[in-house]
Amino acid sequence: MRRKTLEHIGSIAFVAAVFALLVVIQKSREIEAKSARIQVVAPYLNLPGVDFNNPRDRALFRETLNLFRPDSISANDSLLAAIETYRQAQFTDPRLKSDAGDRGLSWSVFWRLTGMYLQFVVVFAVVLGFTFYGAQSIALYRFVRLKQGRESYLEEFLLRVREWRASRGKGIGLSGVLSPLLKALVKAVAYAVLFSPAYVIGYSLKTSFETNSVLFMILLGIVSNGLLINYANKFYTLLVAEGRKGYVETALVKNLSGNYRWNDPDGISYLSILRLPRQFPGHVLQHIYLNARYQNFQTLKEQASFLITGLIIIEMALNIQGHLCYELLQNLLYRQYDVALVIIFGVFLLVKVTEILVDLQQHREELRYENRG
Amino acid sequence: MDGLSFDIRISADDKPLVSIRDFTLAQNQITLLLGESGIGKSLISRGVYGLLDPAELTVSVNNLPYPEYLLSQRVRGIQRAGFFVFQEPSSHLNPLVTLGDQLREGALAGASPGREVLRALWEGSAGQDLDSILAVYPKPYRPSGGEKQRILLGMALEKIDMLPPAKRAGPDELFVFDEPSGSLDNHYRDLFLTLLFDRFRRRPFTGLVITHDYSMISRIANSHSDLLDRVVFRELARRHGTLQVSDFQPGTYTGWVKSLLPLGALSQASRGQEPLLTIAPDVEVFGRRLVITKDPEGKVPTRLEVYPGSMVYVKAPSGTGKTTLVKRVMGLIHEGSIEAKLKNLQLTGATPRKFWQDRIWGKRMTMVFQHADEALNMQSTMRETLLGLPLRKPLDTDGIARLVGDLFDTAEAGEVLGKRVRFLSGGQKQRLNLLRSLALDTDVLILDEPLNGLDFDSATRVIAILDRKMKAGMGLLVISHNEEIFDALAGDTHTYYLHIRRDSDRPSY
Amino acid sequence: MKTEGEGTAPARPRLFARKETRWIFLWLGGIAVLWGWDLLFLNPPAFALVRTALFNSLLASVLVVVFSMALGWASGLALYYLEERGKRNIHLAVTFVLNLLRSLPQIVGILLGYVLLTFLIVQDVLRSPFLQLVSMSAVVSLFVFLEVTDLIRERIAYYRSLDFFDAMICCGIPERRIINVEILRKNSLAHLVHKAVAVFGMAIFLQCSIDFIISVGLSTDMSSTNFPATLGSLLARMDSKQDILAISMVFSDISYWSSLFFRHLQGLNIAFMIMFTLACTYNVANGLVRRYHL
Repeated sequence: MRRKTLEHIGSIAFVAAVFALLVVIQKSREIEAKSARIQVVAPYLNLPGVDFNNPRDRALFRETLNLFRPDSISANDSLLAAIETYRQAQFTDPRLKSDAGDRGLSWSVFWRLTGMYLQFVVVFAVVLGFTFYGAQSIALYRFVRLKQGRESYLEEFLLRVREWRASRGKGIGLSGVLSPLLKALVKAVAYAVLFSPAYVIGYSLKTSFETNSVLFMILLGIVSNGLLINYANKFYTLLVAEGRKGYVETALVKNLSGNYRWNDPDGISYLSILRLPRQFPGHVLQHIYLNARYQNFQTLKEQASFLITGLIIIEMALNIQGHLCYELLQNLLYRQYDVALVIIFGVFLLVKVTEILVDLQQHREELRYENRG
Repeated sequence: MDGLSFDIRISADDKPLVSIRDFTLAQNQITLLLGESGIGKSLISRGVYGLLDPAELTVSVNNLPYPEYLLSQRVRGIQRAGFFVFQEPSSHLNPLVTLGDQLREGALAGASPGREVLRALWEGSAGQDLDSILAVYPKPYRPSGGEKQRILLGMALEKIDMLPPAKRAGPDELFVFDEPSGSLDNHYRDLFLTLLFDRFRRRPFTGLVITHDYSMISRIANSHSDLLDRVVFRELARRHGTLQVSDFQPGTYTGWVKSLLPLGALSQASRGQEPLLTIAPDVEVFGRRLVITKDPEGKVPTRLEVYPGSMVYVKAPSGTGKTTLVKRVMGLIHEGSIEAKLKNLQLTGATPRKFWQDRIWGKRMTMVFQHADEALNMQSTMRETLLGLPLRKPLDTDGIARLVGDLFDTAEAGEVLGKRVRFLSGGQKQRLNLLRSLALDTDVLILDEPLNGLDFDSATRVIAILDRKMKAGMGLLVISHNEEIFDALAGDTHTYYLHIRRDSDRPSY
Repeated sequence: MKTEGEGTAPARPRLFARKETRWIFLWLGGIAVLWGWDLLFLNPPAFALVRTALFNSLLASVLVVVFSMALGWASGLALYYLEERGKRNIHLAVTFVLNLLRSLPQIVGILLGYVLLTFLIVQDVLRSPFLQLVSMSAVVSLFVFLEVTDLIRERIAYYRSLDFFDAMICCGIPERRIINVEILRKNSLAHLVHKAVAVFGMAIFLQCSIDFIISVGLSTDMSSTNFPATLGSLLARMDSKQDILAISMVFSDISYWSSLFFRHLQGLNIAFMIMFTLACTYNVANGLVRRYHL
């Protein structure tokens, strides 16, 4: 653990140093470029009798330059273009506007970003918690259905159609036949939502709902981008793999229940899947869940990184102003790389802190289960 | 004699795995089911016990589809009243639950709190050893494989102790032990048999002991001869393409063991030659100091020498480090210290890897590993396994046929050559494992449990081929828990003992 | 003690035997049905653009898979050999860099990569659309290949922990053959195919997302239309966005839903293709997990 902690701290320090250097370099280059631009055009800006707003004056100026420097026609044209660009920037460049506020990294920008950052962290923590819990719940539900032999609603529907035909409608009722089909349709719609990128869902609801709110961001973060479904699938795969292991057989011969029927006295209840902490006393699922959960914990790091990717996509794609990642995109667009680097460092730090916390907790559990605690 | 009789068919993805008619368990008796590993003993037993997954396998028992069989009174009764001890103890204990908790859940919650059964199985160890083990979470190296096996056996024996008193076994009181001695050394194997048979004498039940450890027969014949009329010896084998269970005469094995003589006709003449392999008595690996001696008491450190045409047998209790020692000799472990000499080549901890690669591995010395399942590539065919060897002269079709013919019948060889290793039985895998190393024709061959998973016939053929190789000048170094076999084959002259050197210099053997 | 539940009777109907092939056919069928509808109701220029965008996205994702597998294989083996040969310092340095990469959210890294690509396009270094597509794929693969690296290391470590490796070494089989052929090719092919499918899905998702995001442009000197058309960039166009926005009209006027499939076809088309491809990729990967017990 000490090695891992040193590595984490080392990487934070390394990245911080690199980013700080880049910020300094970027700032000094900006200042140099600005003064270089001004130096080239400054002697010509206030020439008496020359009004660069007037096309005739501009034409005369060009001809005068060509007269005095006939060997450098293209350089003369470049000078004129530079003067035009400089003059335009006085009007269009937001960095030069009088009410533009702070441009580049300053203390007021930093405090503004801090507020956005804290909001981002809160959203991240809430979404991470809900998706971690939700993924495990979905996976457990799926696993129990697997053990019941009822994986596919569509196949169940076809089976019931056969049974209905065979019994000529006298056995199973029509509602019993159609129920799995309905569930299959609901599942298809749920898949469509769960796999949809956030911007598709966001834009679909934009005109009917308030999509700039933090609550909407949290909901979108949970259900979109395939986050929930992919991590539910990972946990499900762990449950299936653990379910095949030898200790499950030993538990069965010790007469722990292997009955996965819903709400049977020795079966599994819906509530047991949802409530925390999850326990399945007297059932082999207790053994399976314990092991799957222990292995699944490490995936929290990967999940955190993927979740942040999703939140960034949400904020950027939906152009949610006043949010951290929208600011990042804007600063990249307007080449304020110093601000962009600070934001990126903040995001990197969030991932690193999550990794450190996960590693610490994992280490504690390892000490216990490796008989070193 | 009452019997439980089963017709069983098991297949996976329409590929037949096992099909047997009239698989009978003698009620009120203990059946010792012998046969090579992977022939289907465990699969059949699990099928009878109701442990197979109908979603993964297509099973029928007495023409009943498996889901219906699982719902039958017979299976429910067996599962309530009986117990099943699985092979591979490492994977059959939950690594995230303490051993103590695993011993007291489910039906075992009502077992005696004094843990008399476990204390009996830990006989010879310090009392606190058992208590400290029960508090741990089982991990690969702690407790050891043998200790884990004893925990599982203890569960079964506790369940037997919970049976209501009766003069005869109930119809559902079936206790299955699948390779119960797989991870035990002979001391604890004998102790387990004693505990099992003592209970059987007091309170009969129906027992099934699955094993390829034929030396159990000797133990039963010598120490539990009063029960010979209540122990049924049967062998599961493939004959004429079908799986059959037939009676096995214990005398076949015990007589064969008595007839064994030390191998290697050159062993007398080899005294004039230089040893092929020499190992200095002191070895250190993974912080453990080992010493090789000629005496069981461990008082006489001796240089181990393997001569041409001789078989050297190294003995030690389970967990001492025999496998670690031979891996160190083979240069597979670089940590620690060793002094060895292979002909004129010095082998120490500083010998570079490239030297091993270019001069030793597969050229002068090679090793047959214990677990064929791990040592072979399951995805290669048998032919590919043999053709992939870096021989000076690659094997051609005739060469493969000659090599394979040593351990496989012609018909069997034709069937298995093109098969992927994962579809071979355990015994076939072990034979391939041996053949692969034998084909290299090295000066020295190290064998770790060479008879693992083999039936009686195959074991005799393996010994014959080893004899032939020795007569051709090969030197063998063997580690095995089949003591009665290798004691006879190696003889006292070539038997060594391995000890853990402790500060007080007391031997550990 | 039995494992039981409802519906454990044998003989259930199967659409196709293997889940992964089933979902590949479903995807092809779904796209075919969709294009059939487009042929009837979407204007030809828009339909051509949609086809181009899908083709570019698929091509880019395949390239991501190829680059990621190559990078992952190379880095996995490099780390293995560095560790085995005792080159601790180099191993530490490489691991450090890779862990840094791992800690950077993928979209941020790809965004920075696209900033660089934009610069190169503005400077006229990357001229041809194909080269731009290859570069886009290379950038994405830089932030995805680590999954392949981890898989390769895990498979090698697993077989090293068994007697498998030592047994073959003792037979004189060269180490490079054991690793590349015996472990990775013969015993890890299913794992690698599964990982390739997962990377493909991830690539589609990341590419579409980044192309959508940069629709605002990453340079005031060029617009996003300078990049090759992909599903993400097409979805970011004003007309497609309008089509997606129109979906929310259904909440206020339920009868409007039928108009969506005629009047707002382009945007819906693209959104459906993205979502459908991701869902099918997920199920193909699942099929492989189930079949090979991964």
